[in-house]
Amino acid sequence: MDVVASLAHGFSVALQPYNLLACFAGVFVGTLIGVLPGIGPVTAMALLLPVTLSAPPEAGIIMMAGIYYGSMYGGSTTSILVNIPGEAASVVTCLDGHEMAKQGRAGPALGIAALGSFFAGTVAIVALMLVAPTLARWALKFGPAEYFSLMVLGLTLLSFLTHGSMAKALLMASVGIVLGLIGTDAITAEERLTFGRLELLDGVGIVPVVMGLFGVAEILSNLERKISREVIKARIGSLWPTREDWQRSVGPMTRGTLLGFFVGTLPGGGAVISSFASYALEKRISKTPERFGKGAIEGVAGPEAANNAAAGGAFIPLLTLGIPPNVILALLLGAFIIHGLQPGPLLMVQKPDVFWGIVASMYIGNVMLLVLNMPLIGMWVQVLKVPYPLLFPLILMFCIVGVFSSNAAVFDVFVMVVFGAIGYLMRKFGYEPAPLVLAFVLGPLLENNLRKALILSRGDFWTFVERPISGTCLALAVLMLLIPLLPSLARKREAIALDKD
Amino acid sequence: MQNQTKGLANAELWGGIAWLALGLFVTWQGWTQGLGVLSEPGSGFAVFWCGVIMSGLSATIVATAIRQGGPPLKSLWSETRWQKVLLVMGLLLLFGFFFEQIGFIPSSLVLLLVLMRFIDPVPWWQAITVSFGAVLGVWFLLAKFLKIQLPAGVLAPLLG
Repeated sequence: MDVVASLAHGFSVALQPYNLLACFAGVFVGTLIGVLPGIGPVTAMALLLPVTLSAPPEAGIIMMAGIYYGSMYGGSTTSILVNIPGEAASVVTCLDGHEMAKQGRAGPALGIAALGSFFAGTVAIVALMLVAPTLARWALKFGPAEYFSLMVLGLTLLSFLTHGSMAKALLMASVGIVLGLIGTDAITAEERLTFGRLELLDGVGIVPVVMGLFGVAEILSNLERKISREVIKARIGSLWPTREDWQRSVGPMTRGTLLGFFVGTLPGGGAVISSFASYALEKRISKTPERFGKGAIEGVAGPEAANNAAAGGAFIPLLTLGIPPNVILALLLGAFIIHGLQPGPLLMVQKPDVFWGIVASMYIGNVMLLVLNMPLIGMWVQVLKVPYPLLFPLILMFCIVGVFSSNAAVFDVFVMVVFGAIGYLMRKFGYEPAPLVLAFVLGPLLENNLRKALILSRGDFWTFVERPISGTCLALAVLMLLIPLLPSLARKREAIALDKD
Repeated sequence: MQNQTKGLANAELWGGIAWLALGLFVTWQGWTQGLGVLSEPGSGFAVFWCGVIMSGLSATIVATAIRQGGPPLKSLWSETRWQKVLLVMGLLLLFGFFFEQIGFIPSSLVLLLVLMRFIDPVPWWQAITVSFGAVLGVWFLLAKFLKIQLPAGVLAPLLG
């Protein structure tokens, strides 16, 4: 009953006109950037972060959250119609979604993607609503040692799941922590790594770093080769799946939802890995696995449900523990902090408007997304036809404006350009930016909890091992660090490792 | 399968060396900042240990590159349009230098027009229409509607 009353209160917040507008703006922009290849939810959220500064905190966070789960919906449109994933979580949808489109079944593919996303998104919100209060109560027992170890586990898991060499991923995480430590030390108020620059006293801004590493670097990488996009020319037709399509899709959608939600809650997990895991699961249990890759609707329904459920599940560690499980939620954590809010176990007690407002807005956002993605599909097809030579200068301009307006400082524009160049070179040399950004956001929290735990234990390092939750997290992290040393397990890791950005 | 080299042109080796240099620098910075004691860690404590971890991981990457080789540096840019990448980087830096002096509207217009005409050229009418529409639209939305300050520059007397 408590939950129902809280949710009712959440709806009273989310249905306020300003918050409704923020929710619509978020899901609209999310769908747009999901549809457009070459700009992901991370860049879009960084871009719009300054715009939310003048809004009330709940409206700002509702909008940012909308961008995240909205992009999961939009990404499938590009995968199905162009065979280019709009964002990373929709990579796997290309396999069968585009095949269906080539066979003249683009409509049912788009329809099942939108309906599966709606179903999974809604189930994930219900689960979030039921799980979060219990987990938050449990998290109240966490001390600095537990928080430190949980963050170490999250970073290790993300490095473990990142494509390519684990040493490189861990190196990126270390670089990210150091970047996060630039500025004034929160405990001693000493300057660190500022090299006498006043602009660095408050640290390096998250917006220019993210915009550089993801936005500018992505554009530079795309410019290296000529991009040709061919949108399916055949008529899309009815979006409503046939009875047979439904029969084939119900199972994958349900399994994808459960799997996606679970993977989404894991530190380091997220929409990308859940969509791949769902595809692999459906292919493995199918009686006709040979249909996969040739236009099997199960290959669209399962992964699309999984990535949307994962997007919902990912809010659990952020809202209850204050720990973002992936890069996108790390940016949302940044938004919370900028708005003077601290996500964690006390959020739903101290700021029920924000917590329940976000949860309720996700229900509303899901309905908005269904309307945006079913009847308005034609509009998104038109958006897809905008040529890249016209699009990339505009994205660059939006990046510059977004970075400048976050702090009204040209210095940040230079930071973005420098990180753009670094991000471009990182891609060239096979270094993934995702662990760097997550560690950059977690760096100050990680250091703070490490130092607090050491001070409280009078310098006893065993405190991290002796406490059960902390010890378990560290043991799991060590286990993952050892896996690359065992060749057979290392090969398995390579098989599941993914590009997480 | 990409060509592999164990010589000095090995891209993995140079990547590892660059990070190793950064790792050592960070370690030194942490050390000079002050490590403190375990019961009261100093402000250089975390920086120092991160530097040590960075150096160790980079050394692993360098050792692997020497043992197993890696793609030649040149191959990373072969058959790519790297000149366009350099041009865009240069334009962005120039834009940063002139953004405040000239102002948002003129500098963004020039940037968009140059990018649209000289990277992957689109017809003039498209470049002009989209550039003017986007710049004026963004300026109106941010400066007038959302009250976010953008430098007016040379147009300050006109824009108020």
